[in-house]
Amino acid sequence: MPDLPSDGVVAVVKRECPTCRLVEPVLGELSGVAVYSQDDPGFPAVGDVRDDTALEVSVALHIDTVPTLIRFARGVEVGRTEGWLRPAWEDLTGVPGLGPDLPEYRPGCGSLTNDPEFADELLIRTRGASLASRTIELTALEDEAEALVDRGWSDGLPVVAPTRPRVLRMLDGTTRAPDEVVALVPPNLAPATVEKVAVNAVLAGCRPEYLPVVLAAVEAACTDAFNAHGLLATTWGAGPAIVVNGPVAREIGMNSGGNALGQGNRANATIGRALQLVIRNVGGGRPGEVDRATLGHPGKLGFCFAEDEAGSPWEPLAQSRGVPAGRSAVTVFAAEGPRGLADQISRTAPSLARSLAAGLRSVAHPKLPLGFDATLVVCPEHARVFADAGWSRAELEAALAAALLLDPAEIERGAGGIEEGVPVGRLRGPVSKFRPGGLMIVHAGGGAGMFSTVIGGWVGGPTGSTPVTQEVGP
Amino acid sequence: MHDFVALEGQGVVAMFLASTEFVAAADVQSRALGYASVPAVFVPHPIQDRTDAEMAALADAALDAVLAAVTARTSG
Amino acid sequence: MIVLDPTDESAPAHREAIARPATLDGLRVGLLDISKPRGDVFLDRLEALLSERRVAVRRYTKPTFTKPMPPDLRREIAAECEVVIEALAD
Repeated sequence: MPDLPSDGVVAVVKRECPTCRLVEPVLGELSGVAVYSQDDPGFPAVGDVRDDTALEVSVALHIDTVPTLIRFARGVEVGRTEGWLRPAWEDLTGVPGLGPDLPEYRPGCGSLTNDPEFADELLIRTRGASLASRTIELTALEDEAEALVDRGWSDGLPVVAPTRPRVLRMLDGTTRAPDEVVALVPPNLAPATVEKVAVNAVLAGCRPEYLPVVLAAVEAACTDAFNAHGLLATTWGAGPAIVVNGPVAREIGMNSGGNALGQGNRANATIGRALQLVIRNVGGGRPGEVDRATLGHPGKLGFCFAEDEAGSPWEPLAQSRGVPAGRSAVTVFAAEGPRGLADQISRTAPSLARSLAAGLRSVAHPKLPLGFDATLVVCPEHARVFADAGWSRAELEAALAAALLLDPAEIERGAGGIEEGVPVGRLRGPVSKFRPGGLMIVHAGGGAGMFSTVIGGWVGGPTGSTPVTQEVGP
Repeated sequence: MHDFVALEGQGVVAMFLASTEFVAAADVQSRALGYASVPAVFVPHPIQDRTDAEMAALADAALDAVLAAVTARTSG
Repeated sequence: MIVLDPTDESAPAHREAIARPATLDGLRVGLLDISKPRGDVFLDRLEALLSERRVAVRRYTKPTFTKPMPPDLRREIAAECEVVIEALAD
């Protein structure tokens, strides 16, 4: 703490404040007052004026208003008054008859520490010490946008500079401590603290209120069950996708309706992106290195949407996976690019189920069963068909499974003149396309259009990736 | 220095040669662009009034350092 | 501008030159003359030395040393060379 008197009176003023100028003669009358000036060390014209243009003392003393008069006794603040009020000033200083020509009272002005231009600096000074990440100086000759990409932190698109004030504000989005380790991020199994995730969330363009969702997604994606390392390292082009359930989706303005899997919604776009940037920057997973995808897909920039729960005939996906009703959660699953299914004729549930099954057959390859998992996004117009028939999620799953029993004669190697397929003689009878639990059903999309969507996944189960649901905490 | 950054930005392995007069300026410019140091070889000043033979000798003397600046040293 | 490092911090904080090749075998080396006096003589000798070592060399010249090289020269070099040696600033 700068040399404040342990016994005595301190004043904090700024020339720009008319009340401070008003009391200048009073400060001149008082002896032994240490006056700190926020904007001009030449003001006031009294004995002991000190330069606080750096606002260090003002910040340390939590000055809100100028002028502020503070009395210290034995090193401790014992009283303060803001603005000019003669009785208060006389009381604090113990000097009667102050400023006889002055009015009784004048309010003060805002301290410069409350100036919006100072807000970032104040944030750094008061909370900057809580940040643990290494600071990197972008030099004056570097273009900010280019510099971030040049350092390899980008997924190809521009990123937002993770300045300390931005990261501090992002950290306000969660109650979790910045130094809490959230996950060990594959492939390098580097620890990601809440702070590191926040830095990447800033890069991605997230708002602070998205951070809890990003944290839950990182936790889910870094589990053994999800196997982010395997998913990254395979030549198959799938990446992580996130579906969000619960109140948080609406609170942060996510899109579960028209174009939910597309562009245009900030939360959808940046939450998925933040997860991928954490994997890239913290985990070290990059294309051409550990990421060996032959082709990949555009959703590897980020793939995140909310389930339309209000319009759904079924319980929320997270609830079907064990999360208590009404709670927010993310489900992270392996995903390639979405593929539409146009069935504009089926009006009965059995027909539509068989129709969607036909589209699901070709996940990975039409002649390969029990290989890959998949996710089916049922659009509202299709969901209405199932709702009208009173079909639960489980009934739809059963109907799809029945329609996805594959005939060995069709899928054996050589069948249909196609060499790919199941080795001849391997199958005793019909085989399911998907392993038990290998097909997830979600409800989303705009109200018009009879186009559900298949999102193929990757190898399911212990040798591949399993979807993981994680509750979203504050 | 900007040429170095531009070329490396295009994936071209780059280095530059300058006279010893440039050592300080090169250091300052490197840091100003965010580098700790940049692959460079410095040849003794002066340059402009040297004979052809002297210039050739400078090149001979610099060759090993130039090669080292554009190839990876395997750590022993 | 000060930013926070989003990585696991295992790499150095400053920018680094890109990875060098193990050898120059099979690579095309450009010699870029920045057009200061006597630089061409220096590069002539360097070209001879490299050619003796069976290194494929191409020569380029900047129009002036007072400005960064023009974009088309940069593109040309990037298309034709894996390595560039720029000389001779004094």
